[in-house]
Amino acid sequence: MSDQPINLSESRFASNWGAATGSWLPAVILLLATIVVWEAVVRIFAISAFIIPAPSEIAQSLVAQWGTLMQATLVTAGEILFGFLVSVVVGVVIALVIVRFDWLGRALYPLVVLFQNVPKVALAPIFILWFGYGLAPKIGLILVIAFFPVTLSMLAGMQSVDRSLLSLMNSVGASQTQILFRIRVPHSLPSLMAGTKIAATLSVIGAIVGEFAGASDGLGYVIQFASTQLDTALVFAALLLVSVLGIAFYYAAEILERIVVPWAPKFSHA
Amino acid sequence: MRIEPIRAAGGRPAHIRHDDDLILAKGVSVVMAKQLVLQNIDLSIPKGSFVSLIGPSGCGKSTLLKVLAGLVNPTSGSVSIAGLSPVEAARKRMIGLVFQDANLLPWKNAVDNASMLLSIADKSLSRAELRSRGQEMLELVGLGDSAHKRPHELSGGMRQRVAIARALALDPAVLLMDEPFGALDAITRDSMGQSLLEIWQRTGKTIVLVTHSIDEAIHLSRHVHVLGIKPGRITESLDIGLPYPRDLSVTEDPEFVRLVVQLRTMLRASHQPGGAS
Repeated sequence: MSDQPINLSESRFASNWGAATGSWLPAVILLLATIVVWEAVVRIFAISAFIIPAPSEIAQSLVAQWGTLMQATLVTAGEILFGFLVSVVVGVVIALVIVRFDWLGRALYPLVVLFQNVPKVALAPIFILWFGYGLAPKIGLILVIAFFPVTLSMLAGMQSVDRSLLSLMNSVGASQTQILFRIRVPHSLPSLMAGTKIAATLSVIGAIVGEFAGASDGLGYVIQFASTQLDTALVFAALLLVSVLGIAFYYAAEILERIVVPWAPKFSHA
Repeated sequence: MRIEPIRAAGGRPAHIRHDDDLILAKGVSVVMAKQLVLQNIDLSIPKGSFVSLIGPSGCGKSTLLKVLAGLVNPTSGSVSIAGLSPVEAARKRMIGLVFQDANLLPWKNAVDNASMLLSIADKSLSRAELRSRGQEMLELVGLGDSAHKRPHELSGGMRQRVAIARALALDPAVLLMDEPFGALDAITRDSMGQSLLEIWQRTGKTIVLVTHSIDEAIHLSRHVHVLGIKPGRITESLDIGLPYPRDLSVTEDPEFVRLVVQLRTMLRASHQPGGAS
């Protein structure tokens, strides 16, 4: 760290722009090459479409089933969004309770960690049993999978406040609630946003697992149904859309991060 | 010892008579984790004076400052600040604290950081009043035109100036500073010291500075107390007779050089574990 004040925003933008185009290009070339080789291998060796469909067959399936797939995507996206939001709210509330109420925190924290060791995918059938085949079991499953990184990252952020800053606050008679909301919570936001990005990714997994376990709609249902019909091209088309959803939610969380914590140090991917 | 009169901003003499002690510590001992950190400290700090505490690592000088700030309770002995306990004095906004790390809030700009503690200490102040107070303090520390910069846009020295402004915003009677320039480079450090002297002369605050720099202690303070190790105790006290206002040229004064030698000798002795002193 030099003693020179630096204008981060401009230099970062400029370098990001150059780095972005520079770093994306090889990935795009590799992707295109993979698709071409894939298509060629399937055609040359005449591999059956229900084992590995060629990219062109996946594309055809995507177009032919577009209406059904879009409808399923919308259902799954709704589950992910709703489940993600519930996970963030619950995760934040648990973290706040643990930090603010010391004795409750000491009771709750070990249980939260213990619960984290339960294989939550295995809870899916129980949730179906309890909540039926609708939206509720999916939200429940996303919640148990995704709240933990939110709670953990926010706790880490709230507990990493410098001791001498706390001394300053104590010396002027700040209450624990003032320290919590004026120092600890804003201090935890960069760390919390890192946790929500993980939660966004886990929410996609939660939704698909929930649909596997029992659903009559959504991309997870399409994947399962199509595989029983040996319509592997449709499975791949649905998989492609799940991936697109995952990327979309991840970047939505990243945009949220830039809005919420514009002051936070950013780490370059390059 | 003759003391040069110091004029405050308003023209009134900031310095009040030498026997008018603002801070009085009597027989202060601190035991932490079964270790005697401070032993029987007697210390009187006159109102309006600039006092440095200097000593080797582990002598408990930072702990002593925390005792004066009310952040550490002495195991035995007593501290009074204008007749109040340190905690009471802190609640009455009489104590301003500055640490080695500026500890600014990265999500607030300089002016909001400068008024942050004041906003908690005095809830009756409006946002506009807090802003104008913060701005006034930034101007006092020479950062009047950086009010809207966030901490990451400021250099280490500038951040530490904001930390000083934040402490001064409380209008405290005493400024307690724990190695405030310890993390800065030599040139920045010199200019920060000089600024602190000017702030002291303009505001008439009482300043207690913990430092491990011999030059800094002599350049800035009127009294230097040397602490020894094992246990932490005051081994020597030295009056710095150099006239104020002082600037960096004071470091070339033969008297300054003599004091440096004298203080260095005292410090060397303070490295010997306690017993007969």
